[in-house]
Amino acid sequence: MTSLWSSGVRDDRRTLVVVFLRGGADGLALVPPIGDDAYHLARPTLGVRARDAIRLDDRFSLHPRLAPLAPLFHDGTLGVVHAVGSDDTTRSHFEAQDLMEHGGDGGGGWLGRFLRERNGAQPGALSAVALGEEFPESLRGAPSVTVMRSLDDFAVDHDDEPMLRALESLYDADTMALGGRLAPAARDTLAALRRLTQLRASPLRPRAGADYPADDFGRDLAQVARLIKGRVGVAVATVDLGGWDSHVAQGTLIEPLMERLARGLAAFHHDLGREALAGVTVVVMTEFGRRVAENASFGTDHGRGSMMLVLGDGAEGGRVRARWPGLESKLLDGPGDVPVTTDYREVLAPLLARHGARAVARIFPGWPGLPAVA
Amino acid sequence: MTSRRRFLEASGTLAAAAALGGCADVSSWRALWTTGEDGIFAPPASTEIDEISHVIARLTHGARPGDHARVRALAPTVHEAVARFIDEQLAPGHDDARADQAVRRLEALAEPVGELYEYQPALLRDQLADSTLRRAVYANRQLQEVMTGVWSDHFNIDISKGDCRWLTPAYLRDVLRPHALGSFPALLRAVVLSPAMLWYLDGRVNRRGSPGEQPNENYARELLELHTLGVHGGYTQDDIMEVARALTGWTVRSRGESRFGIGRVEFNAGAHDDGEKVVLGQRIAAGGGARDVHDVLNIVIAHPACARFIAGTLCRRFIADDPPAAAVDAVARTFATTGGDIPATLRTLFATAEFRAARGTRFKRPFHFIVSALRATDATTQGGRPLIVWLERLGQVPFQYPTPDGYPREAGPWLGTLLWRWQFAGALVAGRIEGTRVNPAQLVGRAGGERELLAHLLGRLPTREEETAARASRQAIALALSAPAFQLT
Repeated sequence: MTSLWSSGVRDDRRTLVVVFLRGGADGLALVPPIGDDAYHLARPTLGVRARDAIRLDDRFSLHPRLAPLAPLFHDGTLGVVHAVGSDDTTRSHFEAQDLMEHGGDGGGGWLGRFLRERNGAQPGALSAVALGEEFPESLRGAPSVTVMRSLDDFAVDHDDEPMLRALESLYDADTMALGGRLAPAARDTLAALRRLTQLRASPLRPRAGADYPADDFGRDLAQVARLIKGRVGVAVATVDLGGWDSHVAQGTLIEPLMERLARGLAAFHHDLGREALAGVTVVVMTEFGRRVAENASFGTDHGRGSMMLVLGDGAEGGRVRARWPGLESKLLDGPGDVPVTTDYREVLAPLLARHGARAVARIFPGWPGLPAVA
Repeated sequence: MTSRRRFLEASGTLAAAAALGGCADVSSWRALWTTGEDGIFAPPASTEIDEISHVIARLTHGARPGDHARVRALAPTVHEAVARFIDEQLAPGHDDARADQAVRRLEALAEPVGELYEYQPALLRDQLADSTLRRAVYANRQLQEVMTGVWSDHFNIDISKGDCRWLTPAYLRDVLRPHALGSFPALLRAVVLSPAMLWYLDGRVNRRGSPGEQPNENYARELLELHTLGVHGGYTQDDIMEVARALTGWTVRSRGESRFGIGRVEFNAGAHDDGEKVVLGQRIAAGGGARDVHDVLNIVIAHPACARFIAGTLCRRFIADDPPAAAVDAVARTFATTGGDIPATLRTLFATAEFRAARGTRFKRPFHFIVSALRATDATTQGGRPLIVWLERLGQVPFQYPTPDGYPREAGPWLGTLLWRWQFAGALVAGRIEGTRVNPAQLVGRAGGERELLAHLLGRLPTREEETAARASRQAIALALSAPAFQLT
């Protein structure tokens, strides 16, 4: 038992941070294909104008609200993937999020399987940290998940050892509850509680100049940076930024979100610094993009292909990777959506390999794997 | 002393209910809920969860001291007593003055829709969470509160979206709670044409545009996927588009647009697509206007997938995450044959062997955990921020789930909340939650001893391990509230 609790501090300093933009973020707003005439025709009111956009290459630009990310792109730390998504065609948030977070039709989440498939996978108490209140589907099946908003939340009322040992004995004995899932959850909780008590004794401040937005997203990223710098063995951290379901008045809805996203990621990058960032990869993903044509209420409906961002180790930074289909209406998918020409798993698989995955096929069951290089 | 005050409140409540008259079951309510609150109560005396503990656990937000004995006293046999208890919980029409009393200071929530706009959203948000919590703790009509919660997940609204900041209190008060134990078709109609839902799922901006413009299909999709048929309910993308067309023109007067009648639902014939529609293979003739929405709902409710989908939802709440098909079939049959009568449907559910057998197998969600801890310890609470903050930490504040699918029902997403449950148990018993009090010594005395109190808290006699752990922890009540058995229902 003791060895499990003390396994939190590890030599392995690799951390994968997954930021999920919930609600279906509009890839055509975050990374508009300014070079395509069809884009401007389809988005007469919502489209980003060429003079406002931040040029990435001949076709793609960043939305002006993502300006804090431009230097990261240009110095090769940030890469962009476009027309990317899953094979979900229901265009349902829940189906699409589930499919993407499960990494296919199988049970359990892709991050959960990754944590079990990792080289030298002796999971520590803090191997997986979910910032927020909810247990993300992507971590389903992981050996240990701590759901938390902040280290400082832990008032530790139960640090009293007689109580902890009494709870330990009851949960250990109750091997059948919830199909055997309750006892391991309690073990993880006890381990996390003891580990966090130690970590809280040594608070870490963000590095000077790391300008996190003063909201949950900024605080969540700052907590992730604190855990990474504290070297407590966080292999995976998940952070959510919700609210992208922009059926109505899209601009007022998602422009503030873009600003928070960009500021948060830039602050995180600065906070970690070059050395700590060497083993860190941040992936930004969403369940689907939006319909190419705007609707009558200045919004966009559920679509298919969107974009992904990769920051840090393995980012293939400084370029936009896309098998770009074009946006003329005859090229679009279903009711008029960006076709998915890159499966999100094509982006994740090489990153998971860098982070120690042994067999990507077991993490994404049923996926045929990377397409042959043309 | 706190207990004495509550006893007096409850007596006053009863007198008020009796004075209103017309309520044949008042005497049984008295028998059920308000006798002997200061006396010794008789906790369960079986080593396994007995039938009475089981129905109390599943139909309410958890047993209060004395509930077990009161239900047992309802009839000569356990079987009849359980049947009486189910009858009373299903019977509509009782006043619940005790719950009303508990929320009477939350005055904003009683305002008509238009007046709600006069309040700060943060105040309404907290009062709504507070009142939901207090009613769950104090209501005699426990099953109605449980079902109000079931429907608030099923027809989820996030109070942070748009005018839902002002409209959600009326949604709970005028739509969900009154219909919670009524007719599903009436509930669905009330939801569809509620200002809150028209805001939340963008129905209010779904209008016939100029040729080439698409209707806003958000609400039509969720109506079929989440509210009636389920994602594999046999509809197509075309059905969604047709339903969206049928719903065009329904809107809500919003703040920016008007000074009068804010929050009022209106049908704007000029924005309605009045052509013919075909929904799930059934034709809705052109020219239906405002009747289209009712035609759509009739078609959808009569579809076999609807009975199955709602039956599945209810069985997941009351039986198991993955309920046996036989139980779902039986419940769906009653739903279909009664035209969606909710009490009749629940009566069938509660009579299934699967329901009776599934004891202590469901993981309480955080809201249920907190309310059941307050009820079990006979806590007196003024609610407010000091309690809401625990709902926030545990991730389940009423009406704050962002996406239309509502808080997850199954255990998995909540397994990470144990730490906060343990912390809550410790804080509650130690009196560190402002405005909320328990009296541990008195509880032990009323139960007739520590072992008896553990039996009350756990719903059955404690095991030897539980007794040992309770002694070793030096905090028996906090330990019991943190134990595996208390997390289950």
